[in-house]
Amino acid sequence: MEEAGIPTVSVYVKSFGHIPELMGLSRSLITQHPMGRPLGAPNDGDRQRAVVEHALSLLGRTEQTIEAFPEGYRLP
Amino acid sequence: MTDSLPDNDELDNDTESIEDLRNSFMYGSRSDLNFKFTRDLSDAEFGDFLSELFAATARVGDGADPLDVVDVAYRWQVQAYAGHLGDPKDFPHRKDDTPLAPFTKPLNEAKIMVLTSSGHFVEGDDPEPFGETNMTQAEAESRIVEFVRSEASLSAIPVDTPAADIRVRHGGYPVQAATIDPQVVLPLEHLRSLVGTGVIGSLTENAYSFVGATAQGHIKRTYGPAWAQIAKDQGADAVLLVPI
Repeated sequence: MEEAGIPTVSVYVKSFGHIPELMGLSRSLITQHPMGRPLGAPNDGDRQRAVVEHALSLLGRTEQTIEAFPEGYRLP
Repeated sequence: MTDSLPDNDELDNDTESIEDLRNSFMYGSRSDLNFKFTRDLSDAEFGDFLSELFAATARVGDGADPLDVVDVAYRWQVQAYAGHLGDPKDFPHRKDDTPLAPFTKPLNEAKIMVLTSSGHFVEGDDPEPFGETNMTQAEAESRIVEFVRSEASLSAIPVDTPAADIRVRHGGYPVQAATIDPQVVLPLEHLRSLVGTGVIGSLTENAYSFVGATAQGHIKRTYGPAWAQIAKDQGADAVLLVPI
């Protein structure tokens, strides 16, 4: 995507948080969530939306970015 | 007395090593993809994991936060994957040094596309892997090796699709959360809301999902150009990627 001129941002769970650095991915947000719930727990709309907004806020970065979402997993 | 004892063959059949037990969660007799990471623990680590899990479970029984149990599993999941898969010398893909594509539009004017490896699809538009209709999640898990070796199939999901019409099947990760609520990985309602509040400009007509049961480097090399063209055809100014 980046080679084609389309900026990207990825959301990874921490279990796979090593991949963005190893692959040299563009912009990544790492969440402290269990595998299969990268944006948050089921029906935790506030957390899911916060993760999405945080990820989209990274699109303006011009250098490789790997940032951690600051809060841990929670249940709604 | 002697007649009541099992013979040696029966004893062997009843014997399960700690390694067998660890492996049984990874597409084995106890397959549970939430815990397939136990295959990547040593026997001693597995013992420590179980000990912590039992202790947390007992605490929950006494009124502690149930999240404590989730946290134990989460911490060991992270340790297993990072410890055994995070070593650069074992990583099979070349590091990408492509300069970042600049994001030139303000977010509130930009059109965003979502691409995820979650295995979601719209009801009535089943990708029918291997030509099979109505494949179950259990069958997808049992055929994970075939998925890994097969071509990825991209499902288009119109962004106005109600969550109730979205299905998921993926043999590579625990799908129960994504079944209960697709937005744990495919945040269509949130993105529509962000458009409504003016945080982002618009969404592409479709979001896209596929069964990402293969190496990311392979996906990038094999499908990257075609999928980038889809993003261009959709008029995307940026893409939100949610690998599972």
